[in-house]
Amino acid sequence: LIFVSFQTVCRQLNSTLWLNVGGRSIHSSAVCCKNRAARIRVGKGDRPVTYEQALHPHQIAHRKGWLSQHTSNLQGEDGAADRTVEDLFIRRLIYGTFHGCLADELVIKRRGNLLVICALMLQKLPPHKYYFLVGYTEELLSHFYKCPVKMEIQMLEEKSVYKYL
Amino acid sequence: MAIYQDSIRVQDCFGTLHKRAGPSPPAVSFPVGRAAYSLGLTASNGVERQGLPERGNQGQRRQRRAVEPRTERMTVDQDWTAVYPTAASFKPNSVPLPVRMGYPVKRGVPPAKKGNLELIKIPNFLHLTPEAIKKHCEALKPFCTEWPAALDSDAKCEEHFPIQVESKAYVSAGPSLRNPNARIITLTVKLSSLNLDEHARKKLIRLSGERYNKDTDTLTITTDSCPMKQQNYDYAMYLLTVLYHESWKTEAWEKEKTRADMEEYVWEDSPSQKNILETLLRMRPLGEKEEEGEVREELLGRVEVQEYKDSVTKLKNEGETETNMQQYKEAVKKLLNI
Repeated sequence: LIFVSFQTVCRQLNSTLWLNVGGRSIHSSAVCCKNRAARIRVGKGDRPVTYEQALHPHQIAHRKGWLSQHTSNLQGEDGAADRTVEDLFIRRLIYGTFHGCLADELVIKRRGNLLVICALMLQKLPPHKYYFLVGYTEELLSHFYKCPVKMEIQMLEEKSVYKYL
Repeated sequence: MAIYQDSIRVQDCFGTLHKRAGPSPPAVSFPVGRAAYSLGLTASNGVERQGLPERGNQGQRRQRRAVEPRTERMTVDQDWTAVYPTAASFKPNSVPLPVRMGYPVKRGVPPAKKGNLELIKIPNFLHLTPEAIKKHCEALKPFCTEWPAALDSDAKCEEHFPIQVESKAYVSAGPSLRNPNARIITLTVKLSSLNLDEHARKKLIRLSGERYNKDTDTLTITTDSCPMKQQNYDYAMYLLTVLYHESWKTEAWEKEKTRADMEEYVWEDSPSQKNILETLLRMRPLGEKEEEGEVREELLGRVEVQEYKDSVTKLKNEGETETNMQQYKEAVKKLLNI
């Protein structure tokens, strides 16, 4: 009897402690109505940016194109979410595989079953390493997604600067 | 191989060295490289461990001498289909055109084609010049057969192939070929091309209900209940066969068809006929006792009565129009000698 009552007392104590300690209440601050998505803010004028970085997302379809093309966003078509997730995965994979070599964002195109990844690269590595990495990503991605994957890369000496912000 | 470093030495274009603290920025905003210095984020081993600020020699060794682009060696009359045989992204060193794309900077010009991501983003048709399409046609010709010479007009096609079956195939970008909407089959047939008598035609129209279009006299059967296209096609043909055979049969309960069930107005045995006969009988001079049957036959045989019958049938079936009403008026006037 004494044992049981001791246990219940402990449990009650525990529960009260849990309620009091780490009191979680909602904190709120004033709303910041600025939009900060994919924007590089204007600075001193010494920072070179590419065309892609300089134009903000609201310029898409006005002065910018789309980085990823597939039919799933058309009326009555399925698979938009799957394609988006695939795109994100591909971008991260290639950012990591070709770390420091990418000059600009990836362009991903889908022609039916075929997945085409267009990349602009800097000449950071010797060519045979590039060939190996391209083959490696193509093989890996085609096994992941069960569809043919092609990479078309173009080499640049340096990043193309659009303006200085 | 260190992926992230907390402080990165950057030499900016004004020649001063400054240290930028904090984690490296996300996504694609890399610190920019110029020829004279190297970054901590290189893939080669061992360099960053030395921690020396001056690593220009290493950077220069990795630079490749730029070879002249292919465009310099292209002749004007080259075979373009060899440059772009299939759909490919825009390659500035393979396209000998001075294209510019992008929004120009203030008091500047649109960016050049070298390193221009906008030109790569858009789909191009460099692989579909008229030459290339001619070559495609030539390659496809051995697989084509001639259109049969006897079918040179739409009417003939309809006469020989009255049943038309439509199905859609879908192409989309993604790993899977399958689209569930591809199983739908639409079968259209004109009833005039089927062998039906009056009763069968009326019964078929009644059985098909909404699927029959009176204006074009076509029966349309759409099937999508089976998972495969072939199954839906078989089901549609089966439905057509069943409709045809059922419409030729006469069931026992069809004898109970009343006047209210009739599709169109029939003058025989209608109140209109009875009324006109009674009126005409009353109009006859008294004293003439003749057989009812003969009188009826004679009256019905008269031209005015036939005209009246036509006008009433037209009015009831087609509705009230100017011509119909005029015809009715004339017929009545003639009948009643007004």
